[in-house]
Amino acid sequence: MNGFIAIYRREMLSLWVTPLAWVLLTVFLLLQGAIFYSIITHFASMADVSVDTGPVQAYFGQESIFLLMTLLLVCPALSMRVFAEERRSGTIEALLTAPIRPTSVVLGKYAALLTTYALIWLPTLLYLVILRKTGVVDWGVVGSSYLGLLGIGAAYLSLGTLMSAMTKSQLVALLLTIFIEFGLFILGVGEYIFDPGVFRDVCAHVSMMGQMEDFSKGILDLRRVVFDGTVVALGLFVTTRVVDSWRWG
Amino acid sequence: MIEVSNLTKDYGTVVAVHELSFSVKKGEIVGFLGPNGAGKSTTLRILAGFLGATSGQVRIAGHDIAEAPLAARRALGYMPESAPLYPELRVLEYLLFRARLKEVPRKKQQAAIGGAMERAGVTHMAGTVIGHLSKGYRQRVALADALVSDPPLLILDEPTAGLDPNQIREVRALIKDLGSERTVLLSTHILSEVEATCERALVIDRGRLVAEGSLEALRARQSSSALSVRVRDPQLAAEAAISGISGLSLRSVSSDEAGEGRRTLHLAVSEASDAEAAIEMLVRALTEARIGIHALIPEQASLEQVFSALTAHEKAESGTSEPGSAR
Repeated sequence: MNGFIAIYRREMLSLWVTPLAWVLLTVFLLLQGAIFYSIITHFASMADVSVDTGPVQAYFGQESIFLLMTLLLVCPALSMRVFAEERRSGTIEALLTAPIRPTSVVLGKYAALLTTYALIWLPTLLYLVILRKTGVVDWGVVGSSYLGLLGIGAAYLSLGTLMSAMTKSQLVALLLTIFIEFGLFILGVGEYIFDPGVFRDVCAHVSMMGQMEDFSKGILDLRRVVFDGTVVALGLFVTTRVVDSWRWG
Repeated sequence: MIEVSNLTKDYGTVVAVHELSFSVKKGEIVGFLGPNGAGKSTTLRILAGFLGATSGQVRIAGHDIAEAPLAARRALGYMPESAPLYPELRVLEYLLFRARLKEVPRKKQQAAIGGAMERAGVTHMAGTVIGHLSKGYRQRVALADALVSDPPLLILDEPTAGLDPNQIREVRALIKDLGSERTVLLSTHILSEVEATCERALVIDRGRLVAEGSLEALRARQSSSALSVRVRDPQLAAEAAISGISGLSLRSVSSDEAGEGRRTLHLAVSEASDAEAAIEMLVRALTEARIGIHALIPEQASLEQVFSALTAHEKAESGTSEPGSAR
């Protein structure tokens, strides 16, 4: 446990004293701001039309494809260095000769990535504060939407951590992660393409857009949560095995 | 403190370490010596728990590294080759991270870090970002890292590589100082380092232990002793005068810059013969040939010679000599 905390704190420090987290934060907020602005102006232009959906639902739900595209960029960039950099620079040698288990190393690093991901999302709460001035915000829906985003981010970062452990090159880790996560994303699109059947059901279940559409309506589907949790657990388990395997290289 | 038996490590087809067995007792400073690529780093990485052995057994402070890896790692401070550090952290931040990682109790962390920085001579650099430090200071920070948990055993992989002569002298003095209360195993391919700091040396070549023992014992392995004679010999008659003496052979002759036939003869006394008698005969022969003797200099076999004799076959086979090992 001590080791976990030490790794977590070091990882947080390294993430935020180097430009990476700040660059990602800036890019992310610029993109989110643009998306949110266009959604708001869209709704403002048809204010008299009575609809059963609002800008919050649109942002997190129906229009979540934009939001997820930015995640496909931000998450792999956040996780790419987590192991690759340590192996490239050799600091992994000092790390793994300390009295610490590989599980603590992987979990400590992952927890730092997840915290950073959450911190990057934090400023978007301001959007809701702004909306609150002109209308009503359903905080239950907001809560479930952020929960959905946390689940997707957790899954993406777990896969990214695994890819970063597979290679010494940050660039290769980044490309592999984007490739895999884009594949997962595209699989979700299959829901709208394939005829009804088993394959379409599978696509619907793994769909990130489907997840956000459900969660933005306040539907907390346990199957979605289980799927995200499975991806996280599998990614981190394999990462631990990979870290263990370096002793035998 | 360290017991290694039949340690073997192979990377697929390449055998890096082969059936290596040795032990290091408590309180010793032991030099782990060998040409580049001899398997020094691989062995030390196995001892430190970074690499797994293909076969064989290693015990650190009584703990088997395969069965009780964490207990073994708690007992040692390891400094990897080329001292990798996080460039974005400050020295103090890095050492605090390492102290936490090495389970230094919270209340003792401040004192432990302060003590380690003091010993390694980086106290005045505590607030500096590691990326801005020179190579010598980074090496010292890595050393402070190895010391921070106050381990009974230190394993240092090439602690003086890349340092300037002043820094090398300081680091060696520090190692000697540390060795008074701890066990130290350090690797190097520089012989003078072993002579300056270690009580005992292990010579490894191509993954095999080729010699082991105190420095005196290693020197004694050199079969013949050597001798230099400085003479004034205008007629160049020394070679002829010496040729008759049994047990003495001429290795080389160098001319002094002063001229007038001033030369230095380098002679080897073979093991079988009586060295003292041979020297008496040498002086008599030179005097009879009317050659002036200016100096008679006995040469003790240096570790350099022992080392190159022990690892010579490699150079003969590969045809390349390591510049570092001949220094």
